[in-house]
Amino acid sequence: MAQNVRDVAPAEEVTSTRRVIAASSVGTLIEWYDFYIFGSLAKIISEQFFPKDNPTAALLATLATFAAGFVIRPFGALFFGRLGDLIGRKYTFLVTLVIMGGSTFAIGLVPGYKTIGFFAPAIVFILRLLQGLALGGEYGGAATYVAEHSPAGKRGFWTSFIQTTATFGLFLSLGVILIVRQTLGVETFSDWGWRIPFILSAFLVAVSVFIRMRMSESPLFVKMKKEGKTSANPLAESFKEKDNLKMVLIALLGATAGQGVVWYTGQFYALSFLQNACNIEFVQSNLIISIALLIGTPFFIVFGSLSDKIGRKYIMMAGMLIAVIAYRPIYTVMYNEANLKNKVEVVEKKVVTVKNTVKGADSLITTVTTKAFTDGTSFKETVKAKFPVDPALKAALSKDKLKPETKKEVTLPQNLYYKMIGLVLIQVIFVTMVYGPIAAFLVEIFPTRIRYTSMSLPYHIGNGVFGGLVPLISTRLVEATRPAPNLPPADPLAGLWYPILIAGVSFVIGSLYISNKTNNLDTE
Amino acid sequence: MSAIKKIFGIVWTLMGVGIVPLVIMQAMKEITAKPTEENWIFWSIVIVVLMPIIAFSLITFGIFALKGEYDTIA
Repeated sequence: MAQNVRDVAPAEEVTSTRRVIAASSVGTLIEWYDFYIFGSLAKIISEQFFPKDNPTAALLATLATFAAGFVIRPFGALFFGRLGDLIGRKYTFLVTLVIMGGSTFAIGLVPGYKTIGFFAPAIVFILRLLQGLALGGEYGGAATYVAEHSPAGKRGFWTSFIQTTATFGLFLSLGVILIVRQTLGVETFSDWGWRIPFILSAFLVAVSVFIRMRMSESPLFVKMKKEGKTSANPLAESFKEKDNLKMVLIALLGATAGQGVVWYTGQFYALSFLQNACNIEFVQSNLIISIALLIGTPFFIVFGSLSDKIGRKYIMMAGMLIAVIAYRPIYTVMYNEANLKNKVEVVEKKVVTVKNTVKGADSLITTVTTKAFTDGTSFKETVKAKFPVDPALKAALSKDKLKPETKKEVTLPQNLYYKMIGLVLIQVIFVTMVYGPIAAFLVEIFPTRIRYTSMSLPYHIGNGVFGGLVPLISTRLVEATRPAPNLPPADPLAGLWYPILIAGVSFVIGSLYISNKTNNLDTE
Repeated sequence: MSAIKKIFGIVWTLMGVGIVPLVIMQAMKEITAKPTEENWIFWSIVIVVLMPIIAFSLITFGIFALKGEYDTIA
């Protein structure tokens, strides 16, 4: 039988709540891990399942990336949110966990395109959609479940543990990939080793399901069900009744949309900017992000807890406003610190090596140029030109096919490396300000009978659609400033206008229309 | 405060209405100039997914704000 934490002694209450948080957080963390594994291994998955020379498979690759993140997640929110309001939180987020784990495990077992042809991308696409669907149902369930177990006045603190799971999930996925890759070697990893992080998910999910099975249902849901007050149609009640719809809209436009873009800018766009605009070397750029995330993650709990004392709104809005004001200055410093035009080259240290290899009918010329700079920065440029040995075949190829592949890598000295970590950390702090209190904010503005449904949709539209589109739209905005295809963009910071605009509008709406009062849950 | 909320309601509604022709015109301009697959996918995502969400939510929110539905939230 469900135990209401408010009816038990304080010490027992804390233990019970801790167990609830641990069980919920571990499951949510694993779901994020599963979701990110796909993104982190996108390149290998693309090679294995979505060959570029097959246009349908390439299209499926694009759709798998976008559809699962944007379109399917809100549908998952609606589908599982409804179930959670009808049959209960515990069983619903058990189902999402099993679907997510099962899909991830299955991706690890699907034979490649070379073995089963078009079935490979089609199966992976369907499994990716299932992942998105499950993720859409998981977060709202976990946040609602924890909030409904938490004592009033500590809801921001307890739910903030759920908020750390997305970052830890990303961290875990990167860590597992790195360990498996280092253990097996790059070649074996690219061949079959990449399947291990997917298969490992089955074990993680089994442990989490075992833990969750032993948990009781949310006390508020049990109480409501006993009193016969559950909603008969949570979807209609959430989105057709004006009083609820207006709160869904305020949650989306005044909170989750801004939070989504700040979250994606601080965690994903920063990495993409370091690698593509600043050309920071792969391992160093990943380390910069990982260290900043690790240092910044406890602040989810700091701001979640602070929101119990001073209100959710002030912290979220402050996070959005500071982000809007600070993004361009922060990225300007990041860009300038890595920009080789601002550095003095040590000319005598320049080394150029040219290697010509013939493999079958193709000739590959690899030119590697390394440079050193007075501040300790080093630069490596690798240009690979591949063309047929036969001059007649070479002449028949278009300019595009003969275009050499260029890779630029900047490695920063220690002091600039720490500075970059600091600059990314500031952005992670913005993320923790807007994201730390948001679960508590969302659960408190909706009634218990439709909470799971009502809070899940704005969350997943805000994060999945507004936030998830940051890389796509920002890249597009930067490309638009490129004067010619072979010239660099005129404004490498143009991509920031999208998160600045969305977070700016969200800040104005949130400041004007959101209340800073910390509400009690309606059935308390 | 209520008056400001209502005035801004007009702003949100106009933004929601205005974004539809703006996005469609920009999409047509860019796709006509460069009808690549990349362009088609980008604008399809913007027009099918992002634009309807922004337009619907801003218009509905703006109308609610204009009618004073948010006046009691302080």
